[in-house]
Amino acid sequence: MAIFVLLSIPLFACGLTALMRKRQWMEAVHLLSGIGLFATAASLAGSVLRSGSVSSGNGFLYVDSLSALVAVLTAFVYMVCTPYAVGYLRRDESDGTLAPHGDAHAALRRLRMYYCLMPLFVFCMFLIVVANNLGVMWIAIESTTLASIFLVTFYGRPTSLEAAWKYAMIGGVGLSMALFGTVLTYYSAHQVLGGDSVSALNWSVLVLQAQHFDKPVMRLAFILILLGFGTKAGLAPMHTWKPDAYCQAPVPVAALMSTAVLNCALYGLARFYVLTTRCLGPAFASNLLILFGLLSIGVAAPFILVQRSSRRMLAYSSIDHGGIMVLGLGFGGVLGVLGMLMHMTFHTVTKPLLFFCVGNIQQHTGNDAMRRGASGLVHVLPISAPMFLLGALAVTGTPPFSMFQSEFMVLRAGFASQHLGLSIVFVACVVAIFCGFFHHVTQLVLGPPSGAPREAFSRWKTYPVIGLSTVVIAMGFWLPAPLYQLLDGAVRILAVQP
Amino acid sequence: MHFWQDSEFGNRMITLMAALVLVLQIVMVTERWIVTNIRAFALQSFLLACIANTIAYYNNAPHIYAAAVFMLLVKAILLPVMFERLVTKIEIRQEIEPLINAPISVIITGLLTLLAYVVAESFHRPDEPLSPASLGHNTLAVAIALFLIGFFMMVNRRKALTQVLALLSLENGIFLAAISLTYGMPMIVEVGIFFDVLVAGMVLAILVYRIRETFDSMDVSRLSRLKG
Repeated sequence: MAIFVLLSIPLFACGLTALMRKRQWMEAVHLLSGIGLFATAASLAGSVLRSGSVSSGNGFLYVDSLSALVAVLTAFVYMVCTPYAVGYLRRDESDGTLAPHGDAHAALRRLRMYYCLMPLFVFCMFLIVVANNLGVMWIAIESTTLASIFLVTFYGRPTSLEAAWKYAMIGGVGLSMALFGTVLTYYSAHQVLGGDSVSALNWSVLVLQAQHFDKPVMRLAFILILLGFGTKAGLAPMHTWKPDAYCQAPVPVAALMSTAVLNCALYGLARFYVLTTRCLGPAFASNLLILFGLLSIGVAAPFILVQRSSRRMLAYSSIDHGGIMVLGLGFGGVLGVLGMLMHMTFHTVTKPLLFFCVGNIQQHTGNDAMRRGASGLVHVLPISAPMFLLGALAVTGTPPFSMFQSEFMVLRAGFASQHLGLSIVFVACVVAIFCGFFHHVTQLVLGPPSGAPREAFSRWKTYPVIGLSTVVIAMGFWLPAPLYQLLDGAVRILAVQP
Repeated sequence: MHFWQDSEFGNRMITLMAALVLVLQIVMVTERWIVTNIRAFALQSFLLACIANTIAYYNNAPHIYAAAVFMLLVKAILLPVMFERLVTKIEIRQEIEPLINAPISVIITGLLTLLAYVVAESFHRPDEPLSPASLGHNTLAVAIALFLIGFFMMVNRRKALTQVLALLSLENGIFLAAISLTYGMPMIVEVGIFFDVLVAGMVLAILVYRIRETFDSMDVSRLSRLKG
């Protein structure tokens, strides 16, 4: 039941917004949908904790701990993005960035597009996590790209068209590889399961039979899936769309893309990882994942060190963290998988904070402050700037923040699985990224004031920042028990004993 | 018994049509005019629908008929018509200007086809005549070739619309692989994929239109301001 509510709230919000003419009403629907989705996802997670897994629609929709975890994280990001989006877009409207010549109708049309597409985007993500059928999951992942293309072109600048084109093309090619991989998985399972019933691509059915699949075909399938979903997750070397899309999309969209979409893509990858490991043993999938994980971290490090734009820096940080998660999965074992899932959770909580702060800074200074070499923003933005520093410390894995724990766990998994050299490379890159972040952010936030006027207080844009930073700090010391149980259940699904 | 009820005849027809599909893909690689390219794509999709129909007929798999109908509607009629309208509407110069010239492209295409046969060989199991792959040995090779050549076309093209065509023909390869390996995906997945393809076609067409309006060109090599 909760699954249907979870899927219908965003669709309903989208449809309702399409009919509206007043901005206030659209904002109200948007805010309500955020709160409603989080409540529904939480209650769904509760019932998963009680009964192990929930399925409905004759096994078509299936939610276990792993999908419940990703759903809760997605709903959380969406919920914190809704109030911020209200403030952010109001500011855009008053600045006249939405419509070129102060055309109120054009501005309203843009707003309506945003408030319609955003729930649709989230709907696709929920469909990814609740779909049992791997084919339907692929369709939902492709749909997230389609739903978000016009969110990337939101401002209609030439550069945003360029970003959207790269996003659509690279994403399209990547996902077509993933589709081929899905077809091959179906083929390798086909000979075992037989028939052409709908359930023949259901994950819950496949996972029980995975050891009998056709091995060479499954090998090829996993490579294609890894390339495909890796493109969607932005793993190097398929990451090139990511910095462009993140610096052109509106800030709430970028926040959602860098956390929720990354999680969903890795979720899809993890589902196939379980099948592949059961079929071929752990070594094959692990080695590939370690390769792509380390490559992503290694590519992100130099780009962060020399970065001149704050949003691109965040994008590379997202590539880095995607890499760390994949690396954790690759190192495997209970430690590695727990590290990956905890990292996913903490990254999802921390990254939106950074995006919101960057958004506030950018809207106040009128451009990318980092590119102009601004400094002393703490005097100008008394809340956003220090919180940006705090978020930067948290996201680079500085203790006592929670991401230190998860990165440390991935490292321990690396040592436990005898990957000594690779673990050292991993640490070196993480340290380099810390240095890069620290250098850029302190330069921006601290230092002599540049004489710009103080920011006018905006409730909508400030409270999400304060709320999120409270959560980030709290999570360093305390993980809620239900969340831990959910993580524990998800680990049991992913850490397959061959 | 009529000759067309013999499954051997069906197999030959499928192989023939698959060969034509491959030929059309090569035509698309070398063709210089956008409109001809769109029509080649439409014809290719039409042939794929025919292949799907034939397989459905000889194997008593009614759900493949549905896939064939979707293929015909979406890829052979709707999208090509839409793209042709787009081409007339935005009045682009109709030449494609590939990065690599035609003779070398053909050689690369040949090599890719060879590679596809090598890959398809690993799926071939002559000792299991009942497995679905026994039908698809040739067809699967063509499917993989379409996929690889589609990739090559994506890189080789500079005009936005032709990249979209390349992407769609790449997807045609996956469709062929799916019907020749497993007699199609489950119905719901098939429907979903065609829905996605249709939406993707429209979204990309709008994007192409806006790129053309903004940059006064469809040349994607102009999309190079975002760096680092």
